[in-house]
Amino acid sequence: MIIKNKVVEKELHKEQKLMILMVIPITLLFFGLFLGGPPSDMMRGLTRILLSPTILITDFLEVGGIGAAFVNAALIAFFNLFLLWRFKMRINGLLIAAVFTVIGFSFFGKNIFNILPIYFGGYLYSRYQRIPMRSTILVVMFATALAPVVSELSFAKILPAPYNVIVGVSAGILVGFIISPLSSQMLKFHDGFNLYNIGFAAGIVGTVLTSVLRSLNVTVTNMNTLFLVHNHAITLMLALLFLYLMAVGLYINPGIPKIYKVILKYTGRSITDFTLLLGYGLTFFNMGLLGLASLAYITAMGGVINGPVLAGIFTVVGFGAFGKHPKNCFPVVLGVILAALVIGYDLSSTGIIITVLFSTTIAPIAGTYGLWVGILAGALHMAIVTNVGSTHGGINLYNNGFAGGIVAGFLVPIVDAFRKGED
Amino acid sequence: MKHEIKKISRIVDELTTLFLKEDTNEIDFSIKILPEQTRITINAHATHFQAADVEQLKNILGAQRQFEVEEYYWQLAGECDDIDHELTLVGAMVDEARVEIKDGSLLIELIRYTR
Repeated sequence: MIIKNKVVEKELHKEQKLMILMVIPITLLFFGLFLGGPPSDMMRGLTRILLSPTILITDFLEVGGIGAAFVNAALIAFFNLFLLWRFKMRINGLLIAAVFTVIGFSFFGKNIFNILPIYFGGYLYSRYQRIPMRSTILVVMFATALAPVVSELSFAKILPAPYNVIVGVSAGILVGFIISPLSSQMLKFHDGFNLYNIGFAAGIVGTVLTSVLRSLNVTVTNMNTLFLVHNHAITLMLALLFLYLMAVGLYINPGIPKIYKVILKYTGRSITDFTLLLGYGLTFFNMGLLGLASLAYITAMGGVINGPVLAGIFTVVGFGAFGKHPKNCFPVVLGVILAALVIGYDLSSTGIIITVLFSTTIAPIAGTYGLWVGILAGALHMAIVTNVGSTHGGINLYNNGFAGGIVAGFLVPIVDAFRKGED
Repeated sequence: MKHEIKKISRIVDELTTLFLKEDTNEIDFSIKILPEQTRITINAHATHFQAADVEQLKNILGAQRQFEVEEYYWQLAGECDDIDHELTLVGAMVDEARVEIKDGSLLIELIRYTR
């Protein structure tokens, strides 16, 4: 039985941990300002991002330009880190994962306009239940997966002004209000084997909302706006960020080269909080390593780093603090790649690259049941993720979380039933 | 607090599974709900756990209570009967934990303050 390892590392205050994380949005902000051109161009880009329907797939690098997309991501990251500071949250692995996920999806789908109603809905829920906002803030951060609901209803010309914005904002508040109990309930479906659990809950909510809209003869169709230019500056900046995380990890815990393999023993099933189990040094190091591995894979495949791919990379890195490590990610990734090759997909396409990255949501299946089941899970994920997007019409940004929940909920009971054992 | 009784039951469920699978075949539980706190005491008879295990249990169950983790994940406690245990989650759901071995039994006292 592995419970917790004895960790010897430098003590960090909460503020120091926040400052380590704060380097990410500061870097994104300066990078965006550097590449954003004149302020007028930047403002035009940000306005286009704010007024776009943001439904899957709306790549902000294409909609608003690289500079505006990075500034948007930085603003959202600052806002979320401010909330963690304001509510005096303990910086655990799950919150780190949430921050990185929100940052990633700020490159395609989330902006300051469409996330705020969801936070307000979460606030109303906490008031209604008479629980502190700090209890629900985590779920609400993840729940911004459904931010496109706000933008789609507000800006897709479904309703006349000003009703469009009123209905859009109200829908966002409703999402924030209902997501907490729903996401907790959904965990039981996959028993914590799907790390992007909110993606599964959001998929259910998105399916219900889209079905209601479609039954009212409102057409909800997916978008496909992608940035398709290779930009080596983005690759270099990301590589430096991930090296920074590894360096911070080594500074906090210089013994990492000797003890890193300990992390590979964990299955990754929720909840596996590496900050608590192995300390912050090893956690940051693992995050950086996963980031570099993601970059290496994308570069080897000749893929473009655009909004969706950035979301995939940041999410993998974030969950490097909460369940993911190279050993449990590899079989699932291999399963996706093999399935894509058999079907005949182009491995360098954005669609396949993000499926490979996001498929690691079910890394705990490989961590628990081993290589072969992990490969099977990856292959199943490939099949399911390409088919579930239409059910929610693209308003759930965590489409892979939805697919991962279905894979885990389907596969785990079957594998369990065939395992030998007395219990 | 919402689902308070169910959350307490889940903590007990998780620990029952842990001790019956990993340690012993005889456990006593006591749950006392007071206005300001709930106290759960566990006595695992004839324990096989060693001092190192006790130290690990102390560290993980005695970690700071994390309301956001509890709110999101409490329904996972007691759900899995194999391989993994949700002790991190139990630690996030209690404010204080005392763990010791006495006369061959593992004694655990968990305190969960009412908000």
